[in-house]
Amino acid sequence: MISKKICMIGAFSVGKSALVARFVHSIFSDQYLSTVGVKISKKVIDLNGADLTMVLWDMEGKDDFADVHMSYLRGAMGFFTVADGTRRETLTMALRLRELALETAGDVPHIIIVNKADLDWEISDAQLADLEASGIRIIRTSAKTGLGVEEAFTTLAEAMMKN
Amino acid sequence: MSDKVTLTPLNTEPEIPAVRGTRFHEQNISDPRTETVPNSALYDADPTGHTDHDSDPNLQKLRELLFLREMELLRKLEKRLNDPLQHAQETSEVIAEALLLRSQQKDNMLYTAFEPMSERLLNDAVRKNPMDFVNVLFPLMGPAIRRSIAETFHSMLEGFHKTMEQVFSWKGMRWRWQAMRTGISFSEVVLLHTLLYRVEQIFFIHAETGLVLSHVYNEGVVTQDAEMVSAMLTAIQDFARDCFTGKQESSLDSLQMGEFTIMVERGSSAYLACVVRGSVPLEFKEKLRDTMIALQLKFADALNSFKGDTEKFLPARWDLENLLDARYADEDAPLPFWVKLLPVVLVLLLALGGGYLWHNVQQQNIAREEAKKYMEASFSQVGNEPGILLVEARQDAPDHWEAIYLKDRFAEDPQSLLDAKGIDPETYTLQVIPHVSYEADMLTKRVKERISPPESVSMVFDKDGTLYLRGEAPMSWILQARQEALALPGVEKIDMSGLIDPRVDELKRMIALVETTVVEFPSGKDVPVSEDAAKLAKAINTLVDIEKLAGSMNVTVNLTIYGHADATGSSKFNYEISQARARTIAAMLYNRGSAIPIAIYGMGSEHASQEPSEYTGNQTSRKVELRVHLAQLPSDTVLNILH
Ligand SMILES: Nc1nc2c(ncn2[C@@H]2O[C@H](COP(=O)(O)OP(=O)(O)OP(=O)(O)O)[C@@H](O)[C@H]2O)c(=O)[nH]1
Ligand SMILES: [Mg+2]
Repeated sequence: MISKKICMIGAFSVGKSALVARFVHSIFSDQYLSTVGVKISKKVIDLNGADLTMVLWDMEGKDDFADVHMSYLRGAMGFFTVADGTRRETLTMALRLRELALETAGDVPHIIIVNKADLDWEISDAQLADLEASGIRIIRTSAKTGLGVEEAFTTLAEAMMKN
Repeated sequence: MSDKVTLTPLNTEPEIPAVRGTRFHEQNISDPRTETVPNSALYDADPTGHTDHDSDPNLQKLRELLFLREMELLRKLEKRLNDPLQHAQETSEVIAEALLLRSQQKDNMLYTAFEPMSERLLNDAVRKNPMDFVNVLFPLMGPAIRRSIAETFHSMLEGFHKTMEQVFSWKGMRWRWQAMRTGISFSEVVLLHTLLYRVEQIFFIHAETGLVLSHVYNEGVVTQDAEMVSAMLTAIQDFARDCFTGKQESSLDSLQMGEFTIMVERGSSAYLACVVRGSVPLEFKEKLRDTMIALQLKFADALNSFKGDTEKFLPARWDLENLLDARYADEDAPLPFWVKLLPVVLVLLLALGGGYLWHNVQQQNIAREEAKKYMEASFSQVGNEPGILLVEARQDAPDHWEAIYLKDRFAEDPQSLLDAKGIDPETYTLQVIPHVSYEADMLTKRVKERISPPESVSMVFDKDGTLYLRGEAPMSWILQARQEALALPGVEKIDMSGLIDPRVDELKRMIALVETTVVEFPSGKDVPVSEDAAKLAKAINTLVDIEKLAGSMNVTVNLTIYGHADATGSSKFNYEISQARARTIAAMLYNRGSAIPIAIYGMGSEHASQEPSEYTGNQTSRKVELRVHLAQLPSDTVLNILH
């Protein structure tokens, strides 16, 4: 049995919780998010015939870096930084959070998710292409339609298993 | 020396010891070993330096002559003292009397001396052959025990009756009923009351990642997902550390949650979290610490190189299971001997009592099992009700349950559903967490509350979250409802094609009438041909009606009038005449008092037939056409409704 700790970080309201909810169900109520700032969910996925347990730490989004509970990132074996395609500033935030996360968790597999693909975007394809060219993995999703969600989680899972 | 030689023969018998005493004294100074002089020295020749007169045959003879009888006596005495067999034989003759004498002195020494031995003997004997004891004891103890049991039952019943009287009948009856139904025995209730602590679950958790390495739990304990619980525990600890201390090395030692304590014991790279019911004794904490140290050592490598593979930690189970203990009050008070025997005797009694008691117990077990099943089934049935979700139902005590439900605002109250099933509210505690359910029933209710549909409208949800609305309703409501329903989570799409506003039909009919009215004009004139006067009047009247009806439906009407000319004449002229024709109609409408905004288009001969008029029959290009627009309606709604 292999288990992995995975964190979801990003600005507020970018859709972290919505993405997790798309992917799994949790035994905890959302109350935890506002009290402890994190909500745990779990999903067991079948990866090439072997079970992989993904323990997802969905962290509350903050406006201010100082408020982010970075200690939740300790021991993360992979993470998602989520941005909201309709708000350009969330991508900037995602990139900065990514740096911080890499400092805390070490060089672990990670993906930048740009969410809300079902809406009109402020973030341009060109901008994302630039980032991708610099080696950052980006996946476009919509928690609303489900587009890309499964792909994002399995891609990270595979990367973690190789790590 | 000389005084001795002379003195000895002169002294009489009683002086012998005195002489020897003197000699002893002298010797003691030089050689203390001679202290233990054999008894034979009393009459044998002394080998140490008195050979001169001891070996003297005359002296010997004299001694024999004088003391023969006494010497014989001494020899016998000595023999008696030195022969253990003889000694035993003699003691045996007086031991009983001796013990008796001693026992009459009230110093308890005898008792103290004999107690351990007799206890061991008794224990051994009972262990080796308990039935012998039972056989012997039974005739004596059986009746006494039987009486004591009868008495216990009697007083128990009496107490029970008293309580029933005191609490008056209702509660008493309910208890009786409860006991009958659940089959929980008195002893179990006692057990519960005396439960000091029980270790229910233990999590072995990798500190950095919060991933669970091993998880064990006591039988019958309902557990939540260990992975999620471990992660949450770790998060809570991180949180506490961040918020309250900020120091890396400080840690949370325990969390108190009602009757549960979560105890945390940290190793350097992992920690143990124990869920304990009751109050935790110090010795358990020590045991916990020892186990943590042992595990930390045992799995040092695996812990430091941990990448999520929990397989390696399987052997930790054994260490953890050792911690799963429980302690009840009075457990370690030593039991008197006869109490230990009691079970044996009871078994005997039961056997004597025959199958009757056994049957009863059996029935009770079955009843208890059934009660348990019934509770479980009831909890999950309630959880299957629309809008209610059973998160967890567990037996937290022999006659008590705890259930956690998620409940939609529109769902029925789990409490009253359980009441309706006849479940005694005293037998469980409920935790109801508000939640928004996407089940069709709940969605329907939520939508109903939001859009308050008229009675003539029916609502159906399909699996994909599409809301179908059918029936008659006013247009204004339809438009409003659409906006509001779509704003509700869970409503993905709305199909309103089944909704009709009777006025919409009327509107449609009238619009059709207006739009199919074609008013013709004589060549070069902007006044309609007289044949069309009635048609035109009707169209104008209808437009006024449309305006009124639409107004009552909060819909604004716009009218476009297209004037046309035939292909003869200059295009400038044609353009002007066509516009004049349209304006004529508009003026007529204004004269009727209508306030419909009108757009006028002179189309010239753009749409005129290029064919010679003989081929176009009586169709003329000199005409006016009317188009009605209902404004402020989203276009798709208009399509939906008007098609
Ligand atoms: N249209 C659209 N809306 C989305 C999508 N994902 C999330 N949302 C909406 O965005 C809002 C915020 O989503 P959350 O999942 O709560 O965002 P979050 O990142 O977890 O927010 P915090 O926990 O506050 O940091 C909600 O109203 C969601 O319904 C998406 O893919 N498409
Ligand atoms: Mg969230």
